[in-house]
Amino acid sequence: MRKLLFGLVTWVGAVTAAHMALNVNWSVIMNDRLPLDKRKLNVAYIPVT
Amino acid sequence: MTDYISAYSQSGQLFVPRLFQGFPEIKEALMSNKMQAAFMVAPMAIALRAQGVPVKIVYLGHRYGSAVVVRKDGPVKTFADLRGRTVAVPSRFSDERLILFKAAHDNGIDAWALHMVEMAPPDVAGALAAGAIDAFSMGEPFPSQAEMAGFGRVLFHARQYWPDYISCVLVVRQDVIEHRPEAVQMLVDGIARSGLWLEDGTRREAHRVHAADFVGRYYYRQNPALLRWALTKPIDRVMYEPLSPRRRDFELIVRLMRETGVLDHDISFEEYTDTRFAEGASGMTPWKYEAGSNTAQ
Repeated sequence: MRKLLFGLVTWVGAVTAAHMALNVNWSVIMNDRLPLDKRKLNVAYIPVT
Repeated sequence: MTDYISAYSQSGQLFVPRLFQGFPEIKEALMSNKMQAAFMVAPMAIALRAQGVPVKIVYLGHRYGSAVVVRKDGPVKTFADLRGRTVAVPSRFSDERLILFKAAHDNGIDAWALHMVEMAPPDVAGALAAGAIDAFSMGEPFPSQAEMAGFGRVLFHARQYWPDYISCVLVVRQDVIEHRPEAVQMLVDGIARSGLWLEDGTRREAHRVHAADFVGRYYYRQNPALLRWALTKPIDRVMYEPLSPRRRDFELIVRLMRETGVLDHDISFEEYTDTRFAEGASGMTPWKYEAGSNTAQ
């Protein structure tokens, strides 16, 4: 039982870490936490010229 | 591109780029202040301003780079053959729609005889291949996508009917212009330097090939070979200089918008543009950056 729980926690932890590394845009999150006058502008674009 | 190169410079990343898949979503994000600036088609920016949305056009994204594409083995051989056929455009408020009216006028054809439908840019090449539409009028790299895949043929490039054609422009919220003009200037300077880098004399083609690689992989999520095609076949297919907003270009767009029923009143150039940032960027030089380098100046 303990082994199973350990395996489950490790798996969830690994998937969470991979998700946070690959899918979370940290520059956006960190930028949004800055004071308004220090924030970089968010600039929208679409993949077309 | 500016984001990628500037990250190697002393100033670091100049802004936070956010990928969208359609212009209506960009419009909403800009109006709700989720985005402080955006690249969007020029008529949409003008229409927003005309509707009282506090935004201004401060710079261009590029010149040219739009084309009307038909099926290679299809029945459309000339512009006149488009009568009664379905043509996709990115938005009612787009230069890609206006170019159809301009070409129709030059060919002595009533543009209303074309069945124009709005379609998200990433969907048009697939729709043409499947026969859901007969043609599309769109910005790069979608004309290149249809050409590269072998099922599309460029009927005409925008420059054929519209010298100095512009499509995407940089729009900034008015409150940001008023309270953070230095941030806007930094953004415009960076874009100006990127444009000059892509048009940098004998390094022009090498720079475009490198840009196609990193923009395709990290920003557009598209095959770099596709962007390489769009940026180099031919080399002036899309141009990145001059990017300052010019009165005569925009007055033509406003006139065409009025004539084609997407703008209900005249609007002056000063109301929807702020040229001070373009003027501030006029002395810029190209980025000093080459492929494989880990510094940019």
